[in-house]
Amino acid sequence: MPIASMDKVVKHYKVGKVEVPALRGITVSIEPGEFTSIAGPSGSGKTTMLNLFGCLDKPSDGRVFIGDQNVARLTSNQLADVRNHNLGFIFQTFNLIPVLSAFENVEFPLILLKKGGAKERKAKVMQALEDVGIKDLAKRKPNEMSGGQMQRVAIARALVKDPKIVLADEPTANLDSVTGEGILKLMREMNQKTKTTFIFSTHDKMVMDYAQRLIRVHDGQIQSDERK
Amino acid sequence: MLLKLAFRNIFRHFTRTFLTFLAIAIGLMFLILMDSMLTGIDQESFDRIINYETGHIKIFDRGYREDEENLPLDKAIDNPAPIVAQVGKASEVAGITGRINFRIMLSDGVDQYPAVGIAVDPKDDESVFRLKQAVDKGEFLNEGEEAMLIGEGLAEDFAVDVGDYMTVLTRTKYDTYQALDLRIKGILRTEDPKIDWAAIVIPLDLGKESLDMGKGVTEIDIKLKDPARIEQFREMLAKEIPAMEIATWKDLAADVLAIAQAKRGGTSVLLFSVFIIALIGISNTILLAAFERTREIGMMAAMGMRRGQIVRLFVLEGAMIGVFGSITGCLLGFLLNIPLVTYGINWGAMMRDIGDVGYRITGASRGVWNIDMFVIAFIAGIVISALTSIYPARVASKMEPTEALRKY
Repeated sequence: MPIASMDKVVKHYKVGKVEVPALRGITVSIEPGEFTSIAGPSGSGKTTMLNLFGCLDKPSDGRVFIGDQNVARLTSNQLADVRNHNLGFIFQTFNLIPVLSAFENVEFPLILLKKGGAKERKAKVMQALEDVGIKDLAKRKPNEMSGGQMQRVAIARALVKDPKIVLADEPTANLDSVTGEGILKLMREMNQKTKTTFIFSTHDKMVMDYAQRLIRVHDGQIQSDERK
Repeated sequence: MLLKLAFRNIFRHFTRTFLTFLAIAIGLMFLILMDSMLTGIDQESFDRIINYETGHIKIFDRGYREDEENLPLDKAIDNPAPIVAQVGKASEVAGITGRINFRIMLSDGVDQYPAVGIAVDPKDDESVFRLKQAVDKGEFLNEGEEAMLIGEGLAEDFAVDVGDYMTVLTRTKYDTYQALDLRIKGILRTEDPKIDWAAIVIPLDLGKESLDMGKGVTEIDIKLKDPARIEQFREMLAKEIPAMEIATWKDLAADVLAIAQAKRGGTSVLLFSVFIIALIGISNTILLAAFERTREIGMMAAMGMRRGQIVRLFVLEGAMIGVFGSITGCLLGFLLNIPLVTYGINWGAMMRDIGDVGYRITGASRGVWNIDMFVIAFIAGIVISALTSIYPARVASKMEPTEALRKY
C-alpha cells in the first residue's frame, strides 16, 4: 500500500481575478521508504505537489492520501494533526527558530507531539543530533552555525519524531555544492537507516542524481516517472 | 516550551519591547500616583471638614437646611441645653458642642470683604473640633472676651496681625444691623479654605449676645467615638429628637463627595488611557513581530502547531510585555509615591488662584499608600496587554503555512 498518493489532483491558484492552474490532474503513488525527487523548472508544480503531500495546502479537485487517509477535505486543525504525527519538513532556508538552540529546535516537534517525558525527549534529541553529526553543536543558536550545520539541525528536527514521510523543498538550494552534496548523502543515509520515505523537490541536477525515483513535472502534469 | 519561546521572542528586538513596556509602565505609574494624590486630597479634605466644620453629626432646627446657604439665624435651636444633655449622655458620643454660624462683612476701615462668622464655645468646642490646635499665632478664645480669631488667608489679605482691631458688620436674629470692633487674638491655620480664607471665630457668649440669639445656637455638633457608626447614630437621634433635623458630615460635604466621585471617573479615564497605550503599543509590537516572523509561523504550522497554539504564543508575548510593564510601573509608582506620601505637593499658590473648588486644601497635600491600586495596576497591565495581543495573534495564526513559507 502506498504511503502517500494523489488521485486526479487539480490545483488552481487565484492571482487577482484570474485562476492559474498549478496541477492538472496528477495521479501518483509513493511507496514506503522511497527516496523520491520531484523535479521540474520553476512554475512546473513541484512545490505545489510537495505542499499537497505535506498537508500544507488542499487540492481544488481530486484526492490526496497519507496512508489510507484522504486529507483533501480535512480542516486546518485536522491537517495540523496529520502533519504533527506523520510528516517532517526540511526547508530550503532551514527555518530554524532563531531564539532556540540546536537542541531546543530539534526538541520542538516532540513537545508539539506531547510524546514522552523530558528525559526520553532529551535522549531522542541527542540521538537525532548524533545521527546528523552535530551532537557537539547542541547548545548553539542558529546564528552561530553555518548553512550546512543549520540544515543538519533541520534534518534532525524532521526525523526526531519518526515521521512516515519527510518532505524537503529544495533542501540544497541555499548551500554550496560541497555542503549540498554532504546534506544529500546524509538524507540518503537516513533514508536507508530509518526506512523513512523522503520526497523532495528540486531543479538541481546533482539532487536528481541522488534520487532513487525521479518524477519530472512540467506545466502541472507528470512528464516522466522513473525508478533507478 | 511556549513560555520559553515567548520570553525569548520578546527580547529579539529589545529596543522595541523596551519602549512598549516603558509606555505601559509610565501609564501605570501615573495611575498609581494620580490615585495616591487624589485619594490623599480626599482624605485630607474629609478630615478637615470633620475637624473644623461639621464634626460627625449636626443637629439643626427643622427647616434650617432649606436655607442654609444664607446661614439663617431665625431658624436656630432656641433651647439647646436639654438636647445637649440628652444626646451627650449617649455612650457613643465623644464630644458635643453648640455653634452659631452667621454672615458678616469684615472691615479694616478701608476695605471690606464678605466672610462667615463662627461663634464657638471656648470650653467645649475642643471636644468636637480642632480649632484650638489650629491657632498658628496668638491664643485661642476665652469666654466673655471681645476678641476674635481670623483665618490666615483673611489676615494676609487685610494685612492684619494679632493685636489689631477689625470691624465685624452683621445682622442680628431680628435683622437689625450690628457692628463689633474686635481685637484679633489669634490667627488660624487649618489648611481648610472655608476657615483660613473666609472665616472669623468669636466666643459663643459674645455671639449670642450680639446676635440677639438668647440661649440659641444654629447647630449642635457631635463627635462620635466610632465614626463607623454614624448612620446608626443618626437613625437613633432621628427617633429620639424627631423635631430636629439630623445631618451627617457626608450630607453636609456633598459637594466634596461629588468631586471625589467624579475623580473616580478620572481614574477610569487614566486606566482607559493605559488601555489605549497598550492597544497601540502592544498591537504594533506583536503585529510587527507577526509579520517579521511569517516564515517561522509557517514552519511552526508545518510542524503541526495548531492555530490556537500560535495565538497563545503571541498572546503570551503580549502578556509578558505587560508583566514587565506592570512590574516596572508598580516599582516606579512605589518609588515616586515615597516623596509624595512623605512631603506631598504644595498646592498653595494654585489653589488660591483657582479659589474655592470644594476641596479643603490650601497648602500641601500628601499622597497615600493604596495597595488596592497597586494590585489593580499590576493586573490591569497584564490583562490589557494580553487582550490587546489577541487581534495581531489571530492575524498571525490565520497565515496559511504555504503563504507564510513563501514570504521573502
